[in-house]
Amino acid sequence: MEPLLKVEALDMSFGGVQALSEVSFSALAGRITAVIGPNGAGKTTAINCISGVYRPQGGRVLFGGQAITGLAPHVLARQGLTRTFQNLQVFTNLTVLENVMVGLHGVTGKGFVSAMLRLPGQRAEERRIRARALEALTFLGLAARAGLPAGQLSYGDRKRVELARALVARPKLVLLDEPVAGLNPAETEEMGRVLLEVRRQGVGLLLVEHDMSLVMRVSDQVVVLHFGRQIAQGDPQAIQRHPEVLRTYLGCQDQPPPGVEPAIALEAAHA
Amino acid sequence: MSGWEQLSQYIMSGLTTGSIYALAALGFCLIYNATHIVNFAQGDFISLGGLMMYTLLGAAGLPALLALPLAVAVVAGLGVVLEAAAVGRAKSREITVLIFITVAASVLFRGVFKEVWGKQALAVPPLSPDVPLKLLGATFTPQNLWILGITLAAIAVLIYFFNHTLTGRAVRAVAINPKAAALMGIDTRRMVRLSFALAGALGALAGAIITPITTASYNVGVLMGLKGFAAAVLGGYGNFLGAIVGGLSLGLLESLGAGALSSTYKDVIAFVVLLLVLFVRPRGLLGGGEETRV
Amino acid sequence: MNGGRAFLWQLLALAAAVVLAPLLVGNPYHLNVLNVMALNVLVVTGLNLLIGFAGHISLGHAAFYGLGAYVSGILSSTHGWDPWLSSLAAALVVALVALVIGIPTLRLAGNYLVMATLGFNLIVTILILQLDEFTGGPSGFSGIPPLKVLGRSLASDQQFYWLVWGAALLGLLLARNLADSRVGRGLKALHDSPVAAAAVGVPTAAYKVKVFVLSAVYASLAGSLYAHYFGIVTPKTFDIFFSVELVTMCLVGGMGSLWGGFFGAAFLTPLPQVLHVFDEYKDVFFGGILLVLLIYQPQGLAGLWTRHARARAARSA
Ligand SMILES: Nc1ncnc2c1ncn2[C@@H]1O[C@H](COP(=O)(O)OP(=O)(O)OP(=O)(O)O)[C@@H](O)[C@H]1O
Ligand SMILES: [Mg+2]
Repeated sequence: MEPLLKVEALDMSFGGVQALSEVSFSALAGRITAVIGPNGAGKTTAINCISGVYRPQGGRVLFGGQAITGLAPHVLARQGLTRTFQNLQVFTNLTVLENVMVGLHGVTGKGFVSAMLRLPGQRAEERRIRARALEALTFLGLAARAGLPAGQLSYGDRKRVELARALVARPKLVLLDEPVAGLNPAETEEMGRVLLEVRRQGVGLLLVEHDMSLVMRVSDQVVVLHFGRQIAQGDPQAIQRHPEVLRTYLGCQDQPPPGVEPAIALEAAHA
Repeated sequence: MSGWEQLSQYIMSGLTTGSIYALAALGFCLIYNATHIVNFAQGDFISLGGLMMYTLLGAAGLPALLALPLAVAVVAGLGVVLEAAAVGRAKSREITVLIFITVAASVLFRGVFKEVWGKQALAVPPLSPDVPLKLLGATFTPQNLWILGITLAAIAVLIYFFNHTLTGRAVRAVAINPKAAALMGIDTRRMVRLSFALAGALGALAGAIITPITTASYNVGVLMGLKGFAAAVLGGYGNFLGAIVGGLSLGLLESLGAGALSSTYKDVIAFVVLLLVLFVRPRGLLGGGEETRV
Repeated sequence: MNGGRAFLWQLLALAAAVVLAPLLVGNPYHLNVLNVMALNVLVVTGLNLLIGFAGHISLGHAAFYGLGAYVSGILSSTHGWDPWLSSLAAALVVALVALVIGIPTLRLAGNYLVMATLGFNLIVTILILQLDEFTGGPSGFSGIPPLKVLGRSLASDQQFYWLVWGAALLGLLLARNLADSRVGRGLKALHDSPVAAAAVGVPTAAYKVKVFVLSAVYASLAGSLYAHYFGIVTPKTFDIFFSVELVTMCLVGGMGSLWGGFFGAAFLTPLPQVLHVFDEYKDVFFGGILLVLLIYQPQGLAGLWTRHARARAARSA
């Protein structure tokens, strides 16, 4: 199968820091591809390069077979590539519902003039936007909070609003930057189920996450970054036994300590 | 007058006004680096510098050697007040609000200057008696030399201060990374205030040396301040060397442009340059790029 | 930026007040103040769209207002255009100018727009003064014909009252419609987080430019109305100080709140007429109010109101 997203030899540096060097991987439609690595490995930078926030200094990004390197984020959103943020970026001055309604911006089209003059079609589009946003909120269990200002939500709910906003337009691929960071175990469990359900609906996910048990449970593929370089790619089982990954996470040992599950060892080493 | 003489005349006057723009641009940079805001009151620092010289030299009859430092000290004090009583005290940290605080302060300052000194133009005596001098065909006065000399001296002092004194380096550290500077035990608030004081001092200096040529008035600095801003953008906003280069280039451009076209539209040149720079190369001549971080 | 259903009721209440006011205000001079107030409401509403939506402040709106006045005045009197057509042409010119200023400055982080618009206002003032062949220079440009509706010219204070308040109400309604729409939400989103807005498809740079152009057009139309009402325009009316005054009106009422802008204009327009000493101390007064508000109450008077309303909602919840 032709991969939905293909990243080829991405290079990005900030001053002296080489955040990405020659990173190449791919992600399939309707599959979960995890990107893991220690702090500062370049995971967020990779997401920023793919989503058009940064223009990579080298390499290219293909989405659905088309080169999208350097395209603006809003153009990519219209092509079905959306994302969430590690440091939450909900629109605090909008309500929860409005936050998700903005998520449909790229797939709707009424402009300034029709909005000001309430031209025919404008109201109908507004109703459609509202209905779809409510649907997405219901899917994430947030319907009861629809009218609240997003600034008043708990941390966990904000994470879910971000996800709803990224999903509502039925994108082909969503880049998730640490969707369960800071969530409690119950919320994490719930989020895992949501991700699998989204996958079942045919949406591809690129999942950047430190929570190894979640990554190992839901991912189809795992990519490992370390100091901006890609050190491994494979299915979760293979990654858990990959010697270089273990070295990265556990210092110089080639094997996890006896009796410790690999996923938990990775987790512990990270914490 | 031959073409050459005319050219050197334009260059002389361009360098003179360019020095003033450079001083103003440096003031903008200092406050921008410390707080990331554009200080709209920079032009009023220039006005007050001139007005103080009028009062101290003319009305109080002080010698220039005493009047100049006194005027500089007063305006530096106003800079500190602007930070301590307004910008630093604001409840909101939003940049738009902070910038508008300086706009409001500027309007208020101008209103107060108008009450104290009136609306008319006030003649400020030059630092040394006017005798026409001639060099390479350009005619000028000792005041032109004072302006160039004092600007050079101010730049030299700033360079020494920022590179060779502990306080100067602390100000730079705060500009680069306020959090890290605070962790290292630097009193960041004091350094920000010091930046305002320095910006005030530079403005005062500019006003004190240019008003013998332009005359002083409650709003004489407004246009000069704005052109100083244009100069700072031209050089690369926040960049010290850029401010100096931008100031001098703008002064030259204006004086040559006015000579080549018409002096009627002299004041338009700076703003056309400003818009062009923003269009073509917003980083300015010497500015570096910067990535937003998410 | 407000936009809910409540706004429509409030707008209706204002419309009722507009209808009743002339019964109470017999004095033509007071009517004249009300007319100027409506013009300011129009400009401030446009400016508020920019401040509330894009988070940018313009110090050039007096110049847009002035361009609207001069261009329409000159076209209709020197060139004999129909005043409606000339107003439209002026709006077009202003839109183009705003485009040229907005495109380079609004894509930059930081408030370059403030300085660029301030510089622009200075240029416009200088040009109006210098191009006296066309503009009449410092003494102004006179002989501008009034607007006509159904063959009747709206020259009296009374007739103009209906036109200008109609325009102000319409301006508020259209602004509210924009706030409560897909585009409005996109604009508010980009104000909160530009990266996140872009990530869901909001063309952030283009939206900022469009809203800037729109707000300049509001100012231009108000300026044209001004010119055809007074019949004469002078450069001083459109100097930088008036730009600061307009921003003060926005900020006093509350940045980006449509009603806040309305009350700011309604409160500050008549002040100079009421307080005669005021003219002398205008700068100190405006600068002082603005400074204190920005330091201690950056949300303006509307902010006090919303805080009060929130507190009440919290108590009753
Ligand atoms: N805008 C930027 N400017 C300067 N340096 C940056 C910038 N963005 C990232 N970096 C640097 O690039 C490197 C990679 O950062 P990145 O945020 O991609 O790491 P990460 O893998 O997402 O880490 P974490 O798990 O902590 O989120 C780090 O050294 C970081 O300091
Ligand atoms: Mg990260």
